[in-house]
This record gives sequence, C-alpha cells and structure tokens, in this order.
Amino acid sequence: MLRLINCRNATVLLDQRPDRALPWGPRASLWLHLRYCPYCNRYAKQTVLMAEWARAAAASRASSGGALSEAAKERMRARLAPTGA
Amino acid sequence: MNPSIPIPAQWPDRYGDELFRFALSRVSDTDAAEELVQETFLSALDGLATFRAEASERTWLFVILRRKIIDHYRRQARTNQVSLDELSDGGAMDADFFNSENGHWTGAQAPASWLNADAALEQQELHEIIRRCQQRLPAQQEAVFVMRFVEELSAEEICQELGLTASNYWVIVHRAKLQLRRCLEKHGLGKN
Repeated sequence: MLRLINCRNATVLLDQRPDRALPWGPRASLWLHLRYCPYCNRYAKQTVLMAEWARAAAASRASSGGALSEAAKERMRARLAPTGA
Repeated sequence: MNPSIPIPAQWPDRYGDELFRFALSRVSDTDAAEELVQETFLSALDGLATFRAEASERTWLFVILRRKIIDHYRRQARTNQVSLDELSDGGAMDADFFNSENGHWTGAQAPASWLNADAALEQQELHEIIRRCQQRLPAQQEAVFVMRFVEELSAEEICQELGLTASNYWVIVHRAKLQLRRCLEKHGLGKN
C-alpha cells in the first residue's frame, strides 16, 4: 500500500538501498516522497557521493606519500629473520 | 621470472612502504598503521606453509593486511560499542536532524545543494575533509562506515564481524551518513 512517509523514514530507506532490494511498498513510498521533497532528493545524491569520496580518498592516500620508518623496518627485519642462522 | 620463495626478512624493504601506505589510508595514525604492517608480516611468517608459489607474494601479503584492518575495526567497534538500547532509542540523536513532531528535516539541517562541490574544492582538499570527518564519527560508526564503503564488505559480512543485527546495522549506517554529511557541510560543502 502506498503510504506517505516523512524525511526521516525516507533517508533511512535511502541508506538501506545499497544493501537490500526494498519491498514494493517502501519503494513506492520513497519514490512518492522524492517527487516532492527537494531535501531528500539532495540527500539521495549526497549519500552516494559520500561513499564514493570515502573510497577515492582512501585510494588516493594509499598511492601517495608516506613510508615506513627505517626504525620500524629494522624492528620488523629483526623479528622476521630466521632464528639460529 | 623464477617463482620466488618468500624470504621474510626482505619483506619490510620490498613491501613495507606500500603496505604501510595502504594501512595508513584506512586507519587514523602512523603507529596503528605500523602495527598493522608488523602483524601482517608476523601472520605471514606463521602461515608461510600455506603460501603457494604460483601466487604473488605481494597479493598474499595484501590479503593478510586487509584481514588485519578488518580485525582492527572490529576491535575498535567492540571497545566503543553503543548499547542496543541506545541504538533502538534513536529519538535523541534523530532530533538533531529531524523535527520530532513530523519527522521532516529541521530547517538548519536540511541538506544544502552540493552542485558545485567538486568545483569549489581541490580534490586533495575534499579527500582531506572527508577523512577528517570520518575520523570524527563515533568509533562504532566509523568502523561500520569504513568496512562498508571503503573495504566494501557486504552488510551481512559486517553484521557477522561486529555481532550486529541487520536493523542495528542500518541504524548505525544511517547515523554515520547523517553525521558525515553534516560535518562535510560544516567544512565548506554546500555553501553557496
């Protein structure tokens, strides 16, 4: 049944969308809500963007700058060296 | 190329920097990232017998590191766990964002347009802001957010790792997204 929902419920459903297929009722209610609510329309796009940016930020950090300190490497080499050699 | 036999003492020099950068892109500080790399090497050493020569040593170490990162977030989420009562009683937290009478956005919290977000900020700056905002999330929310959207684990896997029910998981994801969005706007997104 088509039910009017508020912004709180709409945003909950928007955040569930990547993880589960919404049943027909909530899906239709969300569709209707998004037809008239500009704020939830923005949220719908922003919630996707935030996930993309978080992934991109991590990928960019993983490929740029920073190195393991020489002291840390030395410590690790010592722990990894064969014993009794 | 001859299939290499792993020489553990060479790992820090051959793979240390790359593994460290990857770890540092997932956790907040240098010490934690170093610790994760060390744990990765020690676990690899213990599991040397399971290494298959036809596999890439580098790929194998990254698989172990990713597992260590998930363990790190599991520990973080469990030591800073929000009680189930607090999760089911979303009222206080939701009142920050939604009108308690009608459930619609409160004026100040209603999402602003991010139409110019990419143009207004340098990519590097945007990445730095999102990282800082992510770190300001409560530990459990940060753990769930990173596991889902950076490590790209499924909701089921996260629930299993963190001992959450599906409905608690969705409450946590929703709150993390609401808070992250607000933090991003505070730091310059959506200012027209």
